[in-house]
Amino acid sequence: MTDIVAIIVNGLVYGSIYGLVAIGMTLIYGTLRILDMSQGSMVMIGGYVGWWALATHGVNPLLALVLAFVVTFVVGTLTELVSVQPLIGRRGEVDFEMVTFITTFAVGILLTNVALQHFGPFQKNVPPIVSGNLDVYHGVSISYHELTMAGVSVLLMGALGLFLARTRWGFAVRAVAQDLDAARSLGVPVSRLYPATMGLASALAGVGGVFLGALYFASPTAGDLPLLQALIVVVLGGLGSLTGTLYAAYLVGLMQAFCEVEIGTTWTLPILYTAILIILVIRPYGLKGSPSEARL
Amino acid sequence: MTGTFSGLSPTRWLMIGSAIVLVALFPLVYTDPYYMTIIVTAEVVLILNISWNFVLGMAGVWNFGQLAIYALGAYGAGWLMLHQTWMPAMIAILCGGLFSAVISVLLAFPTLRLFGIYTSLLTFSFAQVVQYVALNDPRGLTGGSYGYPTVPGLFPNMSQTSYLRAYYWVFAAVIVASCLVVAWLRQSHLGIALRSIRDSPGYTAARGVNPRMTRVIAFGLSGFLAGVAGGFYLSFEQSFTTSQMGLTPMSIDVTMLVIGGLGTVMGPVIGTAIVTVIQTILIDYPGWQLTILGATLLVIVIFVPGGVVGLISRTSKRVGAWVEEDSDAVEAAET
Amino acid sequence: MTAALDVSGLVAGYDRTVVVRDLSLSVEAGKTAVVIGPNGHGKTTMLLAISGLIKPMSGSITLGDERIDRSSAESIAGMGVVHIMQGDGLFADMTVEENLLMGAFVSSSWRGRRETLKRVYADLPVVESKRDQKARTLSGGERRLVGLGRGMMRPARVMLIDEPSLGLAPVAIEAVYAAIAKLRAESGATVVLVEENFTHIGGVADVVHILETGSIVRSGSFDELSNDRTVVETYLGSITDVTT
Repeated sequence: MTDIVAIIVNGLVYGSIYGLVAIGMTLIYGTLRILDMSQGSMVMIGGYVGWWALATHGVNPLLALVLAFVVTFVVGTLTELVSVQPLIGRRGEVDFEMVTFITTFAVGILLTNVALQHFGPFQKNVPPIVSGNLDVYHGVSISYHELTMAGVSVLLMGALGLFLARTRWGFAVRAVAQDLDAARSLGVPVSRLYPATMGLASALAGVGGVFLGALYFASPTAGDLPLLQALIVVVLGGLGSLTGTLYAAYLVGLMQAFCEVEIGTTWTLPILYTAILIILVIRPYGLKGSPSEARL
Repeated sequence: MTGTFSGLSPTRWLMIGSAIVLVALFPLVYTDPYYMTIIVTAEVVLILNISWNFVLGMAGVWNFGQLAIYALGAYGAGWLMLHQTWMPAMIAILCGGLFSAVISVLLAFPTLRLFGIYTSLLTFSFAQVVQYVALNDPRGLTGGSYGYPTVPGLFPNMSQTSYLRAYYWVFAAVIVASCLVVAWLRQSHLGIALRSIRDSPGYTAARGVNPRMTRVIAFGLSGFLAGVAGGFYLSFEQSFTTSQMGLTPMSIDVTMLVIGGLGTVMGPVIGTAIVTVIQTILIDYPGWQLTILGATLLVIVIFVPGGVVGLISRTSKRVGAWVEEDSDAVEAAET
Repeated sequence: MTAALDVSGLVAGYDRTVVVRDLSLSVEAGKTAVVIGPNGHGKTTMLLAISGLIKPMSGSITLGDERIDRSSAESIAGMGVVHIMQGDGLFADMTVEENLLMGAFVSSSWRGRRETLKRVYADLPVVESKRDQKARTLSGGERRLVGLGRGMMRPARVMLIDEPSLGLAPVAIEAVYAAIAKLRAESGATVVLVEENFTHIGGVADVVHILETGSIVRSGSFDELSNDRTVVETYLGSITDVTT
């Protein structure tokens, strides 16, 4: 019984944070039709902002989160302008999806190395947002930090959902994702929407990075693992499907918790990746993606 | 380096021939072991890049599992070298190559029905699985995070100068041979078929070319070469760790391919050379290496998508046209 | 408000393929020009070039006194050009109401969108009855009406309508053309309507142009052209099929 509770509790916590990081990737794929390989770096930047704000300047935790949001929003927007926007006019010539995979990947490398240059290779301790633990069940406890992480993630994802469902720009994002030309003909300024969308997605990952920093330290390569995990979630959920990503995030979170409790941490990622392999062979559009996009 | 072999002019053949001779004579005049080691290592990386570039240029597919296949070739060859000691090292390496070819072909099958980005994801996931399994090394096959145990190299009893030269020549021979094969394949039926599949799949299918078989063949050939490269690396460096197939070497290789010019014959050579030079100059500043490489990758992909080879061919066309103009003008003036 | 549209020497196409060659067309403010022609000859390409979705290769397009051939699709939309695309261009996963609201995206129209929505629903009760359904679940005729309704969600100086009868049964086509008639009456916009043949256009056309192989080959009033045997036989069987 303790096992089950541990799995559920940890699963929900993991799921929430995966959701936060992955939903940005899905948002970007749905709107820009690219796989943004720099998302991991945004998590890493969030971690450093958390360290800078909380460890060295004793800033209010809420402010730290807002700061991370703003910083990564800016970096994400710049990333789009540098690595995606120049290629948009040439969509006919080059394989857009592949080239942007590489250019965003290159930006990720750059950011990692700038961090390495600036902060050095050693890990930095990021203090938790809230300290203390909560006992849930016999021996199963959850830290307030993790609880807050899950709560904020759910809040942000909910806010994103509301934004998309109710606001003018949210409508515009959905329109662009569903039919680019129709959206353009209705006056949607796509060249401004793209960078802003990527900025927003990056900002979500950045906030996640502050939380993850306390769990896994801030370091230049702190973004590598979240990137891989986000890829798993996004493929499982179906590229471009927000609800799919949500389900997939919690599913993967639970799977990871299960693996950790029952099998041992070392095998979690390869098992998850093997799962992706199988999914890509059998049902590449994942849980809720569209079949026409994946299969030839 | 386009055009059929029969169509290459004697001047071209002379140029290629002299280049090969120069390359071959090089280690006889230059013996600094530090730089020779760098060069020989670069040669192995070049072989890997040639294999990767081949499947990209021919099949239009980014096989992100290429480094995992390379690693598997190393592990395969290594296992044979350690446990089948009767087998000469070269044969073990070739067997490693065959092993890689088989795995590569198996990997090709699921990609046949997937669109671009999904193929990348599939091959990427494959690479991750291989890397993690190798790292955790359940059966003591790969040496886990410590790296592969030492194997007898190809030339175990030579002095340093000698074996450096020997490796250099063996690798150079493989490089020259593969470049020639790639160039030949490009303008053979197979090569044209592969490229037309990439450019217009419907048309080629209508013409009776079987796209699946051709992609599988491309994967197989490139897998073989990558596996051989892995075996070479293991023999020369006397070690192989899982970091050889991680994201960092992958990014460096991608940069080499892009700088040189994707899908071209000389692209990998030029790209590998340029990046190796940068790496050697900045050997004390690994952080700067990657920053510069990352920035270069970005700039080249956006502004010079054809890489150096593309740049050269465009420039030479322009120069050629300008020369023509001039000679036309002179003729016109004379008549 | 409404403006004249002038297209002069338009050359347009995709990548290196030229589809529209030296096309010139002038529509007086508030009038409806119908462009008829065989498939693949450039009708849709012409409309895409006017609304800015594809960049013209050369030539000029003028809206009132402003040149729009170098402007972006979004700014052209902002100037009051409404393009009702072939195949509807509806947002499949949005509801009918959301699709309509998107029609008012342009900032000047967004504020008043709820009132405009009421008016459009009043004009198109069929659309109102499906307001909460996802666009992908609608029939062809219903989608066409939603597309037209979306076009009515903002004031139009010029309206471009691409093959409104495409793929529809006769009953649906009548409903669509009734809606188009209402639209013309209410907005007074300059309309360029593209169709494949003569059926149904009699009631809306102020002038008819025939587009073949990328340019306008013949122009005239509906009566003139519908009395010309060769034209009618090319574009629709026999004269008796032509309705007014």
